[in-house]
Amino acid sequence: MHIVKQLMAIPGVIAAGEYAYRGDRFSYQGALTDEFARMASILCRANTLSVNMQAEILDSFSESCGCRPVQGWIVRGAQVTVCAVGNYFSFIENRDDLLNDVMTIMRAKVGDVQDDLLVNLYARLGGDTKEALY
Amino acid sequence: MDLQKMMDLPGALAAFTYADKGDLQSHVLREGTELTPQVLDLLARSCVANLAIAGMEARGWEALTGQSGFQPIKGFSVVGLEWSVVVNGNCGVVVRNRDADYEATFNALQA
Repeated sequence: MHIVKQLMAIPGVIAAGEYAYRGDRFSYQGALTDEFARMASILCRANTLSVNMQAEILDSFSESCGCRPVQGWIVRGAQVTVCAVGNYFSFIENRDDLLNDVMTIMRAKVGDVQDDLLVNLYARLGGDTKEALY
Repeated sequence: MDLQKMMDLPGALAAFTYADKGDLQSHVLREGTELTPQVLDLLARSCVANLAIAGMEARGWEALTGQSGFQPIKGFSVVGLEWSVVVNGNCGVVVRNRDADYEATFNALQA
């Protein structure tokens, strides 16, 4: 079953989607409009790039410290949590055990993100992976 | 914040506190971990930045979409290959991914 569909089957998952590295191509299900899903995709891409940059800096201070490649990130809000793993995202309610379940599914389904996240994301589009990505 | 108590969280490798600008103030490291105080110091600074960015994004998201429930931010986590760092306020915990209980860790940091 597709990751997004599987996530949306879980009670408490508000929306879930997949985005391309450029942030301009996306698909989603759940309580978002097309415009909100576009914004969420751009936001997720920006945060993913940011934490990858930070991990590279950390890695330069302590080689193989265990942070790279970054697999994802979580923002815990007052009633809503945003999870991103690879190029997938989900908006979930803050319910008991839901976050752990969603992260387990996302990590298992997306698999380990490879060393170069951007190339990995871009390759899914079938584009030129040698193109400057930053 | 009781760092020793934080080290009782599932998979905890390190616990630390930091100042508002990210200076590492105190830390506890699990024996045998490859993490160092220098890495924790950098980690703390990145966590301050990420919490600030998440706060800005939550505020903007609520204003633009009319949706609620994002503010105030209750924590942020970066999931690395082997471990995740979970932070809130001025405290953070590094947890091994295979043992991580994100829910419990976020809750402990809010307490």
